[in-house]
Amino acid sequence: MNMIEFKNVTKVYEDSTIALKNVNIVIKKGEFVFLVGPSGSGKSTLIKLLIREIPVTTGSIFVAGRNICNLKASRIPQLRRNIGYVFQDFKLLPNKTIFENIAFALEVIGKPAYAIKVQVPQVLKLVGLANKINSYPHQLSAGEQQRISIARAFVNRPPILLADEPTGNLDPATSDGIMKLLSRINLIGTTVAMASHDKSIVNSMRRRVIELEEGEIIRDQKRGVYGS
Amino acid sequence: MIFRPKYFFGETFSGFRKNFLMFFTAITTVAITLFIVGFFIIIVFDIQAILSSIKNQVEIAVYLKDNVTDELKTYLENEIKGWDEISQVNFVSKDQALEKFKKENEGSEILKEIQGNPLPASFELELKSPEKVEQVALRFMDKDGNFIEGVDEVIYGQNYVQKLFSITAIVGTIAFLIIVVLLLAAIVLIFNTIRLSVHARRKEIEVMKLVGATNWFVRLPFLFEGFFEGFIGSVISVVLLYFLSNYLLIRVEKAIVDTMHIKDLAILGSNNIILYVYAGLVILGGLIGIFSSGFALKRYIGV
Ligand SMILES: Nc1ncnc2c1ncn2[C@@H]1O[C@H](COP(=O)(O)OP(=O)(O)OP(=O)(O)O)[C@@H](O)[C@H]1O
Ligand SMILES: [Mg+2]
Repeated sequence: MNMIEFKNVTKVYEDSTIALKNVNIVIKKGEFVFLVGPSGSGKSTLIKLLIREIPVTTGSIFVAGRNICNLKASRIPQLRRNIGYVFQDFKLLPNKTIFENIAFALEVIGKPAYAIKVQVPQVLKLVGLANKINSYPHQLSAGEQQRISIARAFVNRPPILLADEPTGNLDPATSDGIMKLLSRINLIGTTVAMASHDKSIVNSMRRRVIELEEGEIIRDQKRGVYGS
Repeated sequence: MIFRPKYFFGETFSGFRKNFLMFFTAITTVAITLFIVGFFIIIVFDIQAILSSIKNQVEIAVYLKDNVTDELKTYLENEIKGWDEISQVNFVSKDQALEKFKKENEGSEILKEIQGNPLPASFELELKSPEKVEQVALRFMDKDGNFIEGVDEVIYGQNYVQKLFSITAIVGTIAFLIIVVLLLAAIVLIFNTIRLSVHARRKEIEVMKLVGATNWFVRLPFLFEGFFEGFIGSVISVVLLYFLSNYLLIRVEKAIVDTMHIKDLAILGSNNIILYVYAGLVILGGLIGIFSSGFALKRYIGV
């Protein structure tokens, strides 16, 4: 089953920057995909299109078989609830505790309080930070904050997880920890797409690699490495 | 969407706790601006009330010639009573006039000088609509500008009455304009403050939207918040206004009334317009709060 499909997708920003040119991608359920390419090649743009943070210019995008380009505004929340999104800059709310930060993602989609009380500690155990449940984000290291941000993206068990350079600011050992976590999430059956600059990580994982350059796909390899 | 009061109120109140400075600023802004607006409205209503109570004391005194016959007097009285504009007619005979004069000037040297009764009999006319005073007074004149038979003179403070009416009109217009300007300034100030407090939480809004919150789910706690800020702020302004008007304004006015010997002057507390002003401010506060939040959110909610 095709989880994600890009069909002739072109994205031109308001200032007429062409960020993606006629992109075609098919990602199957349960795949783990790296998006690589130099800065400005369109990786983040691709991810933002998927959750309708920005609209496409031409072409269509399908998520679980549904064209999301003509989605009514009122249906967009439903789409986002099925896609976990790990931000490069974490986007944890500084005045909420770790519990509150993760609970927040469940509250806003209408989960009942008793479910939240069970699910939050569970996902914190998964990312190995159960002991930080009452801390505030500024009391955590960058790597820990990134794991919390993954926990928040995954707590709702979405079928798709998108991560925009989740190891961007982290040292190699911490990055390895993040990758193990994402692999484990992928192993449960979650489709994972991850944008990355990190050569050693991409090379060590031996997963599918899609390489972008100036908005075009120049390589799509089953068990790829960072540079060809 | 499922309505979950516990979540919304919880968000609103934990918001109060965690963004205390923002809330404090917003509430203070509402309280101060609405206090100024309210204070001005009260003063203006008050001035208007005083002016109109002075207006209502406008009387026409029709002095009769000494040689007027009883028949003529009765004829005039019936005639006057038939006019629509008149609310009351009192006849003051020569004797009563002297009596009154003696009372008002008791112990004065003047009384010794009086011989016989130089005072004329008169009709005192009270009007339903004081604006018509001139019209009514003119009925005591014939086409040539002489007083009609039996009437010696008609007095109604000609200049003073006209001035009073134009002053009332001017004061009313200026006051209305000032209130409108003040009100706009208050709305802009409150709007900006609340917009700042929404802006301070744009990250929260962004995260909410990206994890799949519906617009109403994001909006509602902010609308509650805006409402509370507006409501609490305006209640504070009303409490301040209440104390100010009860303990200061009314006293000052009573003192003025006492020293100026104005009878039946409408003073503040006696006027329940002030209650409408209070209610209006509170409703206004709540509405400005809600609408400011709503408008401020528009910018951030469209992710
Ligand atoms: N909001 C925007 N408005 C205009 N142009 C934009 C906008 N966002 C991105 N771009 C442009 O689109 C192109 C692709 O940007 P994108 O952020 O997708 O790159 P990226 O591959 O994620 O880069 P990086 O690795 O540095 O994160 C760049 O040329 C960028 O300048
Ligand atoms: Mg990027």
